Amino acid sequence: MAGFSELIKNFGKTRDYIRDFFIYGCKVRSDFDRKSLRTYSDEKRRVESWMGDYMRYDDSVHGRSVSISVDSGHIPENPLYNAFYSKSFTDNDMLLHFLLTDILSDGEYRALKDIVDELNSEYSMLFDEQTVRNKLKEYTQEGLVLSEKRGKTLYYSLCGDRADEYISHFEVLDDALKYFSEVQHFGVIGNSILKTAGMDNDLFFIKHNYIIHTLEDILIPEILSGMEEKRYITLQTFSAKKRSDSDDNGREAQVVPMQILVSVQTGRQYLAAYIPAVKRFSSFRLDYIKTIKKSTVCENYDELKAKYEKNISRCFGVSFGTRRETGTVTPMKITFCVDEDKEPYIIERLNREKRCCTLEKIEENLYTLTADVFDPNEIMHWAKTFIGRIVNIEGGTSDIIQRFYNDIIRMEEMYGGDSDEHIQ
Amino acid sequence: MNIFSEIYGTYFRITAKLLEKELTDEKTVRETVMREGFKDTLLFLPQKLIPGSESTGLFKRTEDGKLQRITKNAPVKLLTGIQKSWLKAKLADPRIRLFMDEDVISALNEKLGNIPPLYREEQFRYTDRFADSDDYHDEEYISHFRTALKAVKRRSIVYIDFISGHGNHMRGIFVLLKLEYSPKNDKFRAYCYLLRNGRIKSSGIINIGRITEITDTGRVFRTPVSIDEYFQSRKCSEPAVIRVTTERSGVERFMMEFAAYEKHTVRDTQTGEYTVELWYDEQDETEVLIRLLSFGPVIEIMGPAHLREQARQRIRKQYEYIKNSDMNSTLEES
Repeated sequence: MAGFSELIKNFGKTRDYIRDFFIYGCKVRSDFDRKSLRTYSDEKRRVESWMGDYMRYDDSVHGRSVSISVDSGHIPENPLYNAFYSKSFTDNDMLLHFLLTDILSDGEYRALKDIVDELNSEYSMLFDEQTVRNKLKEYTQEGLVLSEKRGKTLYYSLCGDRADEYISHFEVLDDALKYFSEVQHFGVIGNSILKTAGMDNDLFFIKHNYIIHTLEDILIPEILSGMEEKRYITLQTFSAKKRSDSDDNGREAQVVPMQILVSVQTGRQYLAAYIPAVKRFSSFRLDYIKTIKKSTVCENYDELKAKYEKNISRCFGVSFGTRRETGTVTPMKITFCVDEDKEPYIIERLNREKRCCTLEKIEENLYTLTADVFDPNEIMHWAKTFIGRIVNIEGGTSDIIQRFYNDIIRMEEMYGGDSDEHIQ
Repeated sequence: MNIFSEIYGTYFRITAKLLEKELTDEKTVRETVMREGFKDTLLFLPQKLIPGSESTGLFKRTEDGKLQRITKNAPVKLLTGIQKSWLKAKLADPRIRLFMDEDVISALNEKLGNIPPLYREEQFRYTDRFADSDDYHDEEYISHFRTALKAVKRRSIVYIDFISGHGNHMRGIFVLLKLEYSPKNDKFRAYCYLLRNGRIKSSGIINIGRITEITDTGRVFRTPVSIDEYFQSRKCSEPAVIRVTTERSGVERFMMEFAAYEKHTVRDTQTGEYTVELWYDEQDETEVLIRLLSFGPVIEIMGPAHLREQARQRIRKQYEYIKNSDMNSTLEES
């Protein structure tokens, strides 16, 4: 495998592979048909290299299947952060990093020429001015180096903020870092601070932990920046069905970004945005977005944002509905049966999980939830967690009730119930 | 600014660690790379550091065969712009108060100066987070949290008075192992062992928000405890076995939603269906069951028998409601 490197240049490609390993749990080599077998082997080896103990192999008749099995509630550190820590670099990148920070560590400002001279005289390293200038420029943008113009010459110094000094100076910052490094948003950045300081999270575990979210952290800063600057952004997306098509270059959409929607129960994250082409709001799954590019300023951003706020308050989840197809839907009412004396926790559950719906007691042991939302379909996945308690559903669309009804009949058959002609 | 940069990378981090001392040796280089690198890092990084044809030149060999760094100082542990910007955003998170008093938050804010926060909380929305989250502004809650955190760090023995999930008043002497946070519940809990006569009696989880009193006894629990054993003691004896069909993107939805669980999956390449063995904390069995039921007929709980039976009972009850309710007539009309 000549030329293999466990480091990567392009995060996007790897993101796609890790996601497949992680989500589907098992894959055999022949499933990765959208890339060459060589690419598959390299990507697999990289994921193995980063994920270490979390990889699991099962030999099946269909080939060796590879999977990532992580009980993410019982790990101190998200192993997928390793993908971020695998950026490839050149020898010059490495050398300049440690030499420039060494030269500038005294806090003094130096001109480019002096730095280049010092590299030569003190470290016996010959670099041309342009290479060093580029690196200093890059580090200025990263916030590692400060630059100051004196006359016509730029002078450089090292930024004074140090992870270890912050941690020793600000009491319990280390504990806060340990916690925030494993939760949203951008836990990987907190983890990078801990790593810089040579520390690990030894205090917290995270339940209901969708570690896969971190792979989308690569896209979110650009979206947030688009929101801040009130700009249009161009998304390149791929559809779920076309994921296996190697020629799928995705589709482009120009949208106005409104908010990032995070589901803590389904593991999905979305970008809620306005689509000018169809004049409506919609949500885009972040794991189906390949790239984001900021575009021109949206003149009526504030007006759209105000409309969005109104609209999102009528979403049960992330769907703004497809009114044009379904027409106006009437509010949906679901009535639940609860033994108030013995099951007060069910009423508590309804209250804490009802989101934008309203709950009222209609008679003893009966509670009705009213959902005046754009897409009542979204409620049903949740409502089915109350199977065994739903005494009535009305409103919404007849399709929804029909599906629920059919589902229960199928489940009754599936779990060994007797068929009953009365309700066929 | 981008977190996907070599300056945060594992190779740079290991190199920085090795550059901390003026002198090192090949053995230390290899051991450090083995310990802190990825699985294959040993094949790639040592030759960049150890003098030779592929070396970057950061170390030179001394006469006695050791490796001497060419830098004059130990590498500085710099905070980058994006790290400071992230910190600034966290200072606006109400949960920061669990760790820091206002004066520390203010001092840190001042230190960070005019660095803009990486994000604002309102740029995100949790669509399905439970509404009864812990109150991070409540002084009593903060005080309980801090005592619990200290107890975890010191492994100290604490007296706790709390209200159980079933509403019962409980009290006892505990040792706290770790704190747990759930983004779904937006709550903190403590993994603990109940102690009787200084010995472990049973394992448990206590919600910080349900604690009415927590006092450090001043004593430390010195018996070694293993967090793995703790989890093992709470794990279901048999995994749930689930058949996942391809209907309504069942596989993708199921795998995504249950991604947080330890599981073993086998796929039938003829049908595309998956059989998933799912392990969970016994205490969470009802939560697992209702989440499985929410997938409707797209999945089937194959075992263990008691879990399937619970599902069957709920479905039977629901089936009876359907038979007897207005839903039936509503559908007949439509």
